[in-house]
Amino acid sequence: MPLVSAFLVPGNPLPKLKPEVSGLGRLNAAMQRAGRALAASRPDVVLLYSTQWLAVLDQQWLTRRHSTGLHVDDNWYEFGDLPYDIHVDSDLAHACVLGSPRIGIHARGVNYDGFPIDSGTIAAASLMGIGCRERPLVVASNNLYHDADVTLRLAAMAADCAEEQGKRVAVVGVGGLSGTLFRTEIDLRADRIATADDDQWNQRVLRLMESGDVRELKRVIPEFAAAARADMGFKHFYWILGALKARLVGARVHGYGPIYGSGAAVVEFTL
Amino acid sequence: MAQGEIIAGFLAPHPPHLVYGENPPQNEPKSQGGWEQLRWAYERARAALDAMKPDVLLVHSPHWITSVGHHFLGVRQLSGRSVDPIFPNLFRYDFSLEVDVELAEACAEAGRRAGLVTKMMRNPNFRVDYGTITTLHMIRPQWDIPVVGISANNTPYYLNTKEGLAEMDLLGRATREAIAKTGRRAVLLASNTLSHWHFHEEPAIPEDMSKEHPQNMAGYQWDMRMIELMRKGRMREVFKLLPQFIEEAFAEIKSGAFTWMHAAMAYPELAAELFGYGTVIGTGNAVMLWDLRAAGQSLLGGPAAQSDPRGRLVG
Repeated sequence: MPLVSAFLVPGNPLPKLKPEVSGLGRLNAAMQRAGRALAASRPDVVLLYSTQWLAVLDQQWLTRRHSTGLHVDDNWYEFGDLPYDIHVDSDLAHACVLGSPRIGIHARGVNYDGFPIDSGTIAAASLMGIGCRERPLVVASNNLYHDADVTLRLAAMAADCAEEQGKRVAVVGVGGLSGTLFRTEIDLRADRIATADDDQWNQRVLRLMESGDVRELKRVIPEFAAAARADMGFKHFYWILGALKARLVGARVHGYGPIYGSGAAVVEFTL
Repeated sequence: MAQGEIIAGFLAPHPPHLVYGENPPQNEPKSQGGWEQLRWAYERARAALDAMKPDVLLVHSPHWITSVGHHFLGVRQLSGRSVDPIFPNLFRYDFSLEVDVELAEACAEAGRRAGLVTKMMRNPNFRVDYGTITTLHMIRPQWDIPVVGISANNTPYYLNTKEGLAEMDLLGRATREAIAKTGRRAVLLASNTLSHWHFHEEPAIPEDMSKEHPQNMAGYQWDMRMIELMRKGRMREVFKLLPQFIEEAFAEIKSGAFTWMHAAMAYPELAAELFGYGTVIGTGNAVMLWDLRAAGQSLLGGPAAQSDPRGRLVG
């Protein structure tokens, strides 16, 4: 089986930028633990999808072999910069570009110096130790017009391409749980999930992941997305499910907590 | 101190295709032209702006999206390379701009007093969004006028159009107050497309104009209806129709720049000059001018107009 590990991690960069805040520090540590588990699974490549890489035209795949630079988040610039040094499995990324039309999706590669790699991809790569030479990425954009099913099929296609190349694969979905952010400035030390309902929804979804109940997850996610403003309809979870071909048997929650009112979890799936 | 003045407001959309079509030295990709009618519209807008001799250009861009409040560029000099995340094949632009930090701070302070959350962006490594850069390049390619860059708080999308545009109205009023207080002669730029239905695939040659046309008839008809009202100066009707226009034409005006600009101008019932209209990957774009100075309405002596824009927004 080429798929060796799978993870869901938050995309908000605050755990990376403000680890001295205890709640964010716990998420930071959880992402590092998840990264160690990922490294222990010895993948050749990491298939990563971030809700924050927004696209409206085509399905974009990062094909640039090596990207370096300094990113500043549009919202959280006051907490510092996000340097990045990201290696991509360009051969596999090109295979995904070519494979997308076979499942009816127009696609293109992105290979430009200075391309604005999103905060979620950078934070996940940095904290999990992925996107390095040993564990290069294949990064897929979040086309706003793609639904859960399209996202699922894209991930399955990417996993198939990796299998054709004989590669061991880890998959990472980068995005949040409940999506209600506080609209005014808060003391980060007093952060909490914005509403009790959001908290209950998050915990219900996490329990379903832990129990590996894929059928029930698929049933409740649309309701979760509507009721708790789940980040981008929770498409990053469908990315994981697609790569896994829905062979999910359980999960371990490394961390769960608020990021500016929204829900964030670090989840390692049991294959 | 000079008397503050809002000389004019421009509807100044930001498709990066226009920069790509022009082939300025700052943009790495090179084209065979394209979108000439919109680029010629901007040529006329450039000439109009040149005659105004403003101290500062204020631009509100939908591509600097913020979730906690309304943000203002707050670093005196910003430079770098801006690569469009959607059209990186068309727009990789080396920018360098000067920010009027004093006016930006005054806007932020006035906004706070009006009850808004506002923030100053002080990170010198910040990469200015392509919407701001495209609008500024197209209206003033010399880059010799200081700017105030304003983010688009996502309230219109996160909550609803009515509440979101009510915030933009307050932001516009605060902007007007700040311009009056600092004595600037200012020009406002609303970086917005009109109808925003677009194609989902790009032609093999992006500047192949045989592929360019409105994405749908309803969007085009809405654009013409709104432009005609603007040309006649029937702005009350424009604002009354705005929520329906936004809903039915998927208008980018929802992001707030247009409302911000007109609130700052105190919602003049003033005929706009249309420099040109054209589509870009199917979206509707108009370059338009509300010339307050020519109408004798530019000097800021007293409070903003006593109109009720929120009432207009809800019809």
